[in-house]
Amino acid sequence: MFFIVTAFHAEAKPIIEYFGLKKVMKPCRFQVFVGESVALVESGLGIVASAAATSFLLTEFEAGAKDAVLNIGICGAKDSSFKKGDIILCHKIINHDTKRTFYPDIIVEHKMKEAVLETFSFPVNKEEYPCSIEGDVVDMEGAGFFETASFFLPPHKIHCLKVVYDHLDSEKVEPALVSELIRGKLPLIEQLMSSISSMNARVSEDLIEKESELLGIVSQNLKLSFTMTQQLKHLVRYYLARHRKLPEALRDFANVKVSSKNEGKVYFERIKEILRR
Amino acid sequence: MKELKKFSAVRSFSHIYVEEEVKDHPLTLEILSKFPKAVKIQINHYKEVFCRPKQNFAVQEMSKKLILAAKKGRVIYSGPEVCQDFGNKNFYYTSPALNCIYSCDYCYLKGMYPSANLVIFVNIEDYFKEVENLLKQRPVYLSLSYDTDLLAMERIVPLVSRWIAYVRGKEDLTIEIRTKSANYSALSHLPPAGNVILAWTLSPSEVIERYERKTPPLELRLENIKRAIDDGWKVRLCFDPVLYFENWHLFYDNLITRTFSVVSPEKINDASIGVFRIPRDYLKRMRKTFPFSEIIYYPYVEKDGIYTYPEKIKEEIIGYVHLLLRRYLPPEKIFII
Ligand code: SF4
Repeated sequence: MFFIVTAFHAEAKPIIEYFGLKKVMKPCRFQVFVGESVALVESGLGIVASAAATSFLLTEFEAGAKDAVLNIGICGAKDSSFKKGDIILCHKIINHDTKRTFYPDIIVEHKMKEAVLETFSFPVNKEEYPCSIEGDVVDMEGAGFFETASFFLPPHKIHCLKVVYDHLDSEKVEPALVSELIRGKLPLIEQLMSSISSMNARVSEDLIEKESELLGIVSQNLKLSFTMTQQLKHLVRYYLARHRKLPEALRDFANVKVSSKNEGKVYFERIKEILRR
Repeated sequence: MKELKKFSAVRSFSHIYVEEEVKDHPLTLEILSKFPKAVKIQINHYKEVFCRPKQNFAVQEMSKKLILAAKKGRVIYSGPEVCQDFGNKNFYYTSPALNCIYSCDYCYLKGMYPSANLVIFVNIEDYFKEVENLLKQRPVYLSLSYDTDLLAMERIVPLVSRWIAYVRGKEDLTIEIRTKSANYSALSHLPPAGNVILAWTLSPSEVIERYERKTPPLELRLENIKRAIDDGWKVRLCFDPVLYFENWHLFYDNLITRTFSVVSPEKINDASIGVFRIPRDYLKRMRKTFPFSEIIYYPYVEKDGIYTYPEKIKEEIIGYVHLLLRRYLPPEKIFII
């Protein structure tokens, strides 16, 4: 599942349309939209709102090993090397207030520009803001999103994707233009999501998952203790690493039912022998 | 969402994180000049990147990043018990880098570090200072390459050459540089130093192909050893870890026969034998991250917090490999861990 956090409806709208998401009709503090493999939340403005919405979404949908989360929205660029409408994959995110920094793992190829994002708790105008701006681009949510998402997911599954809207010159935000800029970048975003999914599939392929039902039955029928069940799982992994599939002989044990733990131990020794082969 | 069947990982070292403090260090500049296309990201401390929560070692191995930093505090440590001291009293080790460009299935670094990214400590002058202080108290035997393979990285960062230049002529200091690389040519322009031991880890080709990913093949390693010996360097052979798997007898027999058909036994400084062993906590972590490695899931036994083969198998392995080595080397040149 991909989780997406946006600040405003203008940012969310093109994503909702592109992935065919439907509004969740449950009374809740945030607007949530769900599709087959994407769930989106609209956080509202600011670091804390983004953190709260991220936490809500990842908790509500029980984000786990196979999921990833993206913060998609607009930003302001410090200089003209970034053009209006450029999409940026942020490789460093700075919380301007706390000076905490966050780094996603960029593992898969992508076709976006990369830059440092600095998150402020107030709108920044380049001319009026007296201190130096460390980031290449500026927003008001990214750091809150990233810090919160890091409680749930590893750094290769958390990304801030920002589309340049202005150059920190207080250009009026036109919702229709925001939607249009983001809509234009959705094919690229989808490509990145797809690559992350494929990478995920490669590393999380766990053959033992397919066999967990069988192992549960064997463990229960043979009255195996917790430690013995753990040993059984280790041995199964050891066997699978060498042979890629379980020995047929192990399946036969699913039909055996013992009446005492001692009897179970005898069968367990036999299983151990088979799995060490 | 449309599923893309394939994905490409970004090439390793696509991103280089540089501590603010070392951004102008000559070694930093030298390393950066070798990766002109890399994205450079400034950091305050290497742990900001290296010690992030929930990193996935297996994922990061697809595209390792480089971190350039300064090591603070102590940099030289007393040698751990699980390592061979080769009869040296004052055995120390140091880690000028964390992690390795290779990826051996059995490597304990996968369980020791939270990240697969490669950290290079560029403040080599601080390492030399600490050795200098130790030398004021006693002679020092220093292993340079335990938590990495420095020689393998010599073309990225010439740390081994710098160390050799530093130790040359220091009679009280001996260094060991352990490697699986075929990178001797990075040193071959240097005159040999009598207090430097180049230690090559050798494994049967079958082990290299199956479990020592990205490392050079046996023949290349042997060719490098031969060249180093012919040039006058002291060379140690490390049969460590010896692994237990189907037909291991045959493969180790072939390995040792082949080794000494290329290298003259009398020119070898010494050799070591050790079976696979790993601290409990490291193995536990590796089992979580690499669920399908037969090395990691072998049913080892635990003794004093270290997992290794059951005593009977361990004795059999060591006895057999020792016997094979005895055909070529005198007993005083064979060290067992
Ligand atoms: S060469 Fe040594 S340090 Fe490098 S991965 Fe292999 S075992 Fe680990």
